[in-house]
Amino acid sequence: MVFFLQVCTSAQTKLFTKTGTISFFSKTNIENISARNNKVLAVWEPLSGKIEFSVLMKGFEFEKALMQEHFNEDYVESDKYPKATLKAVIENSNSILLTTDKTHSVKVNGTLTMHGVTKPISTIATIKVKDGIASATAVLPVLLADYNIKIPAVVADNINKKIDISINIPAFKSL
Amino acid sequence: MSTFKKYALVAITIIIAIASIYGYREFNRKPADVSSLKTQVVITADSIIAAYERDEVKANEKFLGKTIVVNGVVSEMNNEHDTLLNVIIGNNGLRNVSCLLNNTQLENYKKCSVGKPVFIKGICTGFLADVELNRCVIVADTIK
Repeated sequence: MVFFLQVCTSAQTKLFTKTGTISFFSKTNIENISARNNKVLAVWEPLSGKIEFSVLMKGFEFEKALMQEHFNEDYVESDKYPKATLKAVIENSNSILLTTDKTHSVKVNGTLTMHGVTKPISTIATIKVKDGIASATAVLPVLLADYNIKIPAVVADNINKKIDISINIPAFKSL
Repeated sequence: MSTFKKYALVAITIIIAIASIYGYREFNRKPADVSSLKTQVVITADSIIAAYERDEVKANEKFLGKTIVVNGVVSEMNNEHDTLLNVIIGNNGLRNVSCLLNNTQLENYKKCSVGKPVFIKGICTGFLADVELNRCVIVADTIK
C-alpha cells in the first residue's frame, strides 16, 4: 500500500506540455496585429502549485513579414533575449484533483521575464479537468513600457501600449 | 509650363507611384517560404543537440534565426487537425530536434514515418526542452 501511494505521488509530481500556445493581439484604429507561438513549454507541480512557462521569442508567427521583423529586431530584440519565462504559483493548486472532472478558477501570482526585465504578475486562470486530463487558459495584460519595449514614434499609433497575452495549454501530460 | 517642368512633374509622379507600390507590397509581404531561402547550416540532429547542451549561448550565436537543414531519424510525429504538423527527430532521450512544419507540408508529412531518416529545413528559434525549428519544410530528396 505504501509503495502504491509512493508511485501515485511521484507520478503526480510534475505535469508538462511542449505544445502550449501563447498568442497576443494588439488592436488600434490603424491596424490589428496578432501573433501566435505553438511551442510553449509548461511544467506544473500540482502539489506545490509551482508552474513555469518558457517560450522562444523567434517562434512567434505573424501574418505579415514586416511585423515579424520589427517584433524580433526592434521591439523584443530576440537575438539578445531569445526566451521569455513566466514563473508562478497557483493558489490552492493541491485542491485540484485529476480524478474529478471540474473547472477551477484559480489565482496565479508570479514573475514574467521578457526582454531582460522581470516584473511581478497576477491573474486568474481557468484549469479544467476532464477524463483525468488538465487543460488551462489565462490572459495576462502586459504594458510594453514595463518591459522596456520601445515603439518608435512614427508607428506608435499602430500598436497598443497594453497587450493581452493569452496562454492556452490544451493538455498537460505526466512527466 | 516649361518643358523642364513637365518632365520634372512626370518624373516625380513616376517616383511617387513606384515608392507607393513598393511600400504597399513591403507592408503586405508574407513571411518567406523557407524552401526558397538559402541554407546557412547543414547539421545532424545529434550535433545540434550536443551543441545546445554544451553551451546554449554559443549555440544561439551559431544557429539562432538561421536557415538550417537538420538530418536524423524521425522519433515522433504529431498531426493536429492537418494544420499543426510537428516532426521530432533524434534519438537523444530527453533532448531532440522538434520541427514545426509549414502548413503547406501535409503531403510531405504523410510520406514521413517514425524510424526513417529525414532531412528537414527550417528556421532555428532556439532551445527549450528540444532544439526548436519553425516554418519547416521536408527536403524532397529524403522522401523519394
